[in-house]
Amino acid sequence: MAAAMRAGAARLGPRLCWKAAEAVLCPAGAAPACLVVPVRTKRKRCRVPEWARELSPEQKEQRLRSSGFILPEERVERSFYLASTAAIADPYVPPEGDARHSALSRPGLGQQLEQLKHSAASRLALRKIKDHDPNFSPKAFPEQALEIFIEAHNCLSNFNKQKLHSLVTERCYPELVRGNRYRTIRWSFLGSLQPPRVVQLRCHSLVSKGNLYGQVTVRMHSRQVLAIYDRFGRLMYGGEETPRDVLEYVVFERHLVNPYGTWRMHGKVVPAWAPPKGPIIKTVMIPGPALDPSQEHEAAK
Amino acid sequence: WLASSSLLPLSCIHTSTYLQKSAKWEKKNRIVYPPQLPGEPRRPAEVYHCRRDIKYSHEKMWYLATLIKGMSIDQALAQLEFSDKKGAKVIKEVLLEAQEMAVRNHNVEFKSNLHIAVSATGRGHYVKRIRYHGKGMFGIMKISRCHYFVKLVEGPPPPPEPPKTGFDQAKEYLQQLRSRTLVHTL
Repeated sequence: MAAAMRAGAARLGPRLCWKAAEAVLCPAGAAPACLVVPVRTKRKRCRVPEWARELSPEQKEQRLRSSGFILPEERVERSFYLASTAAIADPYVPPEGDARHSALSRPGLGQQLEQLKHSAASRLALRKIKDHDPNFSPKAFPEQALEIFIEAHNCLSNFNKQKLHSLVTERCYPELVRGNRYRTIRWSFLGSLQPPRVVQLRCHSLVSKGNLYGQVTVRMHSRQVLAIYDRFGRLMYGGEETPRDVLEYVVFERHLVNPYGTWRMHGKVVPAWAPPKGPIIKTVMIPGPALDPSQEHEAAK
Repeated sequence: WLASSSLLPLSCIHTSTYLQKSAKWEKKNRIVYPPQLPGEPRRPAEVYHCRRDIKYSHEKMWYLATLIKGMSIDQALAQLEFSDKKGAKVIKEVLLEAQEMAVRNHNVEFKSNLHIAVSATGRGHYVKRIRYHGKGMFGIMKISRCHYFVKLVEGPPPPPEPPKTGFDQAKEYLQQLRSRTLVHTL
């Protein structure tokens, strides 16, 4: 590994032969010259006399200004644009047992005939939305909302991120996309069991008073098929042959003040009485507490 | 070990390809297979992991890499824990990281159900330095680094090949004798 060079060393002398070795190892021409950028400025020391060092910061600044020292303005200006809100304002509380009864029974009919319960806040929000978007109507909107919903889920299956950004807000996008990069998703919409309808409207502003965002909650009862496959093509969740009946409360949002704003999917409201989701096919280990070698786990005792 | 030509803020004439490092092993974790049909046998999960520029010699690391080739992951971790070599500690960390990755990201169900399909070492960047001896003598020493690559596959380890018996060798010999023909004849 280390080869001693005796002949050359004897001739040149001790110090010089090390430098020769260094020259051999890192020759001057090898390292590119543009790596080193020397900055030749003399560092100026600020001359503050002894008696002036005890002053308060305002007085020091005054002295600096009077001496003619110009400080560069260090205001960092970085504007950002809020295209969507971060949460669902005033989430809708769906009535317990919604869509449990068949459509022909008495309670079922009662549920169907339930008109859009125009609470005061919803009516006010509707008026504000119509100010900015005169074509909005709570009767025609649910079909448009359903189209956006189906299109967004199709983009998710095809990984068409560009289009997905235009159909879904920035708050909802990570919820849809997280963990799915190396997975295959197959989703199809078989049909609606009940026509979608608008359930709640809300309008609120962020930062300044006139910056309005409108949120509309749409209730959808439909039949869907979902199957998620992992990186190796093995089924992780769901199944392609079994369609499921799904009742969802989807929130759509639009930046009303922006003339080019569109209605986009913002999130879902999951009611507290919703049945638990089905289990995944995999078994998961939940690690227990970290024990000493001398201790025994309480469950084993 | 990134390419030096891409790090410089100013333009540089020296853009040599030997300074760029290849990251093929890391990219192997990104391939996505299409969903399997219901009749196909279940495809075993594969996880690729590596560590670059370990301060060890690749010749010395080779002994440890061949030790654990083909073992189940628990057996490999046990062997490495009680090995006296410096590289054993590094390889053990790599195996534990790979196991964690497999369970978390690659949908492997049981962390013990993995075996080591490929375990290899490669030479890293060498750097030459001066080693000072007495009486003004010096030597040029090289600081060697190595890379370590491992591929974990789900499932029990494959059974070892049975050693070749004399009977098998005799059968092969007879087969060779019987398959002799005359060439370039009528």
